[in-house]
Amino acid sequence: MDKKILLTLFLICWISMSFAQLERKLANESQTVDLIFHAPRNINLLTVEPLDNNTLHFSIMHTFGTLDGGLQNLFGLDNGAVIQLSFEYAFNENFSLGATRQSRDKVYNLYSRYHLLKQTHDDKIPFSLSFMAGAGVNTADYRFLQNDNPSFSERSSFAFQVMAGRRFTEKLSLQLSPMMAYFVDPNPIFLIEGDQNLYLALGFSGKYKISGKSSLTMQWIPNLNNDLRNNIGFGIDLEAGGHVFQMYFVTSQLLNEQYLLAGGNGAPGDQFRLGFNVNRVFATGKKKSTW
Amino acid sequence: MKAQVIFCLLFFLALIRQPLDAQQFVTDNGKVTFISKASLSEFEGKSNLLQGVVDLDKNLLDFYLDLNTIKTGIGLRDRHMRENYLETKKFPFAEFSGKIQDIPTLEIGQEKSVRAKGKFKIHGVEREIEVPGKLKKLNEQELSLSADFKVLLSDYNISIPKVMFYELAEEQIVIIDAVLKKK
Repeated sequence: MDKKILLTLFLICWISMSFAQLERKLANESQTVDLIFHAPRNINLLTVEPLDNNTLHFSIMHTFGTLDGGLQNLFGLDNGAVIQLSFEYAFNENFSLGATRQSRDKVYNLYSRYHLLKQTHDDKIPFSLSFMAGAGVNTADYRFLQNDNPSFSERSSFAFQVMAGRRFTEKLSLQLSPMMAYFVDPNPIFLIEGDQNLYLALGFSGKYKISGKSSLTMQWIPNLNNDLRNNIGFGIDLEAGGHVFQMYFVTSQLLNEQYLLAGGNGAPGDQFRLGFNVNRVFATGKKKSTW
Repeated sequence: MKAQVIFCLLFFLALIRQPLDAQQFVTDNGKVTFISKASLSEFEGKSNLLQGVVDLDKNLLDFYLDLNTIKTGIGLRDRHMRENYLETKKFPFAEFSGKIQDIPTLEIGQEKSVRAKGKFKIHGVEREIEVPGKLKKLNEQELSLSADFKVLLSDYNISIPKVMFYELAEEQIVIIDAVLKKK
């Protein structure tokens, strides 16, 4: 009996003496999930991926001719590229303003992105939610139309989209983006296939990580209120040297949001086109630049 | 016999009581700096959320850092660090537990060099290391500890990016600076 008491006491003592390590606790259980997508762009669509305070994101985007020209046309590369230069500056970690210029129809576009929700590791916020609104103007030279030369407002177009993205696993991220584009006057002289003012579509973006720095990507943008062909694209993202290279095959040659919806994707049976984006982020406003 | 039991009880009670006025010091805001000195670029990662305990009676050191709290000054670099190199989702902590070899008698205001030996764990790999450091009793309630040591990334299966906009040094210098308060 006494021995038992002694033994219990000894055990209690021993446990309290052996003193456990500190309990390992995360500093922030609700840490934001990193890199849902590699860049603010995934193929043609904007993503929920935010920029850091006072950083400038530059993206140069190209699409080429259709692949069916074969080697003779270097798989479409000879047929002239549509190029879009895109700059986006983040004023804080939730709000950024961007400006793009697309070569087709010489469209200048101003847009903003706002990140309302950011997915967290503990799933208290299960997905990231961002908004984008943009306005553009076609600055192509239509003086040959003389009196029919469209006015500034007739050349304007607007875009709005909501982006909801989630990193489901280490590898798989998906985003759903209801999109809308509005052309004040869809003049047939514009290089778009649609003839309506309003275009509605649902964008799907996907990323599947295949290694630390590369992912397979896809996009599918079914149109909701017109008979234009749906946009399909798939590609690969590679992170290298601080750049994110995005190479893809896509049906549409157009790059800005309004033209992406109204521009059309060619006739059924038309081939895919090669395209690529180069993304780069520049930190500004830092005293000590380390790169 | 009864007296013996009572004696033993008192003896054990005394033992249990001991930790209450032990020389146990803790911190939850220690500073950690990682310095990466590559030939072309040098940068630092910093955190001031080092958690730790130093127990001079039981001779026990235990420190850990949530690696998610390290900031290098460039958000994208932080994200790459978490995602590709430290893999903080899988291995969130850097940990050290060990002992001081030859505990010195500490007098207030006097700095003493010490060596700590123990297990350092990062990126899921645990290794035995020896760290030179300095202990100083600031007053009865506070103890300051500083140490620096080198970590070879390849020892911990952390691959070095070959083509990145920042060059990451294979050898990282880790500097620890903490003021611990008596518990």
